[in-house]
Amino acid sequence: MTAWSYYIATLTVYFGVNVLSALSLNLQFGFAGVVNFGYIIFQAVGAYIAAVVVLGPSSGTFQQYVFGARLPFGVALLLATAAGAVLSLLIGLFSLRNIRRDYQAAILLIISLIGTQVVQGYVPLFNGSNGITGVPRPLSALPLNLQQYQWAYAGWVLLAAGIVYAVVTWLSRSAWGRALRATRDQEDAAAAIGLNVTALRLQVFVIGGAVAGLSGGLLVEYIGAWSPDAWGYAETFVIFTALFVGGIGNYRGAVLGVLLVPIIFLEVPRFLPQVGYPGLMDSVEWIAIGAAWMLCLYFRPQGIVPERRNRARRGEAAPHAAPVRERVGAA
Amino acid sequence: MLSTLVSAIGFGVVLASIIAVAAMGFTIQFGLTNVLNLSFGAVMTVAAFSAYLANRHGVGGWFGLAVGGVAGAVFTLLLGRGVFKQYARRGAQLFEMMMVTLGLSLIINYAIQAISHNNIYQFVVLPSSLIQLGSILITRTQLIIVFISVGVLVALQLLLQLTKIGKALRAMAADPDLARACGIRTGQIVVLTWLLSGFLCGLAGVVYIVNAQSVGYTTGQLFLPLVVAAAILGGAGSPIGAFVASLIMGVVTEVVAAFGNASYSTVAGFGILVLVLLSRPGTVRGGQAGHTQLTL
Repeated sequence: MTAWSYYIATLTVYFGVNVLSALSLNLQFGFAGVVNFGYIIFQAVGAYIAAVVVLGPSSGTFQQYVFGARLPFGVALLLATAAGAVLSLLIGLFSLRNIRRDYQAAILLIISLIGTQVVQGYVPLFNGSNGITGVPRPLSALPLNLQQYQWAYAGWVLLAAGIVYAVVTWLSRSAWGRALRATRDQEDAAAAIGLNVTALRLQVFVIGGAVAGLSGGLLVEYIGAWSPDAWGYAETFVIFTALFVGGIGNYRGAVLGVLLVPIIFLEVPRFLPQVGYPGLMDSVEWIAIGAAWMLCLYFRPQGIVPERRNRARRGEAAPHAAPVRERVGAA
Repeated sequence: MLSTLVSAIGFGVVLASIIAVAAMGFTIQFGLTNVLNLSFGAVMTVAAFSAYLANRHGVGGWFGLAVGGVAGAVFTLLLGRGVFKQYARRGAQLFEMMMVTLGLSLIINYAIQAISHNNIYQFVVLPSSLIQLGSILITRTQLIIVFISVGVLVALQLLLQLTKIGKALRAMAADPDLARACGIRTGQIVVLTWLLSGFLCGLAGVVYIVNAQSVGYTTGQLFLPLVVAAAILGGAGSPIGAFVASLIMGVVTEVVAAFGNASYSTVAGFGILVLVLLSRPGTVRGGQAGHTQLTL
């Protein structure tokens, strides 16, 4: 029973972290149309920063890293969030220029690959391919046994996810969120009425990057280690698949997608009998992710929970909505 | 110092030749159909494994190139007709099509991983002797690769500039509707594009493993960013542009590797792409995405 409880608590932590990722991508992609195929590097930078600022100064022999310090975990999370935002700002400044969306996506994907190579190649930065281990768990002095601690941490991650959920939902409903949707659906028209499209995209990119950094920080404080294997470019597509399955442009769909794809999709195979040689099931999982992705694009590009149409409320001017066909096409 | 530089440039040219074969295939496909095909690397891997299997079954030496090329051509045509066209019929635009190719590449790559048991296989075509060219020391195989790449460039240029088919290809890349109105059989030209670019893709896959002497499921995927970068850098639809861009990227990559940390070499290659995007964003501008349409 304890093993199950442990397992479920771990899954809950992963669920919370993936919900944060999905919220971030949904804000960027679903609401602003920014295709962040390099998402995982923003999570990774948050994780690395959160790890090195609690580990203490680098000894240089066991593992090398920069910024070694012993800060409380809360500060570490804030720094992780800031790191995600700063990296997003740097990358967004040149990648969010007015270029074709498919080019932009390909460039962000290439940046993601570059990021992995830099971290692997330059060992003094974050200990290269071996990664950083031994990150202490926050508040381990609390009088909790392992079981209780697991659940306390799961609750903490869910709380963080809930707060971010509330914030991004509020942001999307604000005038700023409407402006974002306008730039997504009718870029030229949005620019014509005086919206600064590039600035809006940069803002949403940085906010999404901050959430990504936070998710990385929360994850690394739980698992205690972080290496380039944890953030291959393909991880980004797991979250994107979750968005496609759940529905793009609405947050409930994003949460549902996370429940369906990274959790059920990737966890259920653990309980299936292992067939073939070891590692075959891993390949099959990825094939299934790709197949789910393709089928969603083919049959239901709007996802299980489609984006709600904005209706004009009394006393409010009717927002000019793009035709549904175009909206679906953009998904 | 100078000899290091010269030999680094030599290796750069070899690397560039491999990138160039793939990038020329990619750019023709991209220039004509407007599909930013991220499954290109996966097709390279399929072709490479086809050549490997053919080699195991006694198809000797350089015939593997033909096997890989044909495998790439057939597979690309199947994907183009069987997958991309179906999605385009359902209203997929440029961006959705790129997503489709990405999902496809996940499926193909991991299917190969499953079939190949996630192993890396030795692929030694010919025991190759070393050749001294000034201070450059390269193998005979590598020299042949360079000649193959230049040969492909020349053949493509001749095809595009001197033949009727080439004229039709260029006309369609410029304006598919006008081309159709002028009586060009656009459907056939698209099929031809899939076959031609697929052949080059397969050829590149085999050339790559001939040089690397091993093949694994990540073969094409790791190579893809370089190919896409070279094609974008060179301008969509221009084989000579792709060739020159490959040359720049290959040489920079190897020179950086020779004088600095080897792990930065690929980063340097990508750095060029970023610089180009910064300096001439006009080439990849697309605010009015509606103006560029898929041609399938």
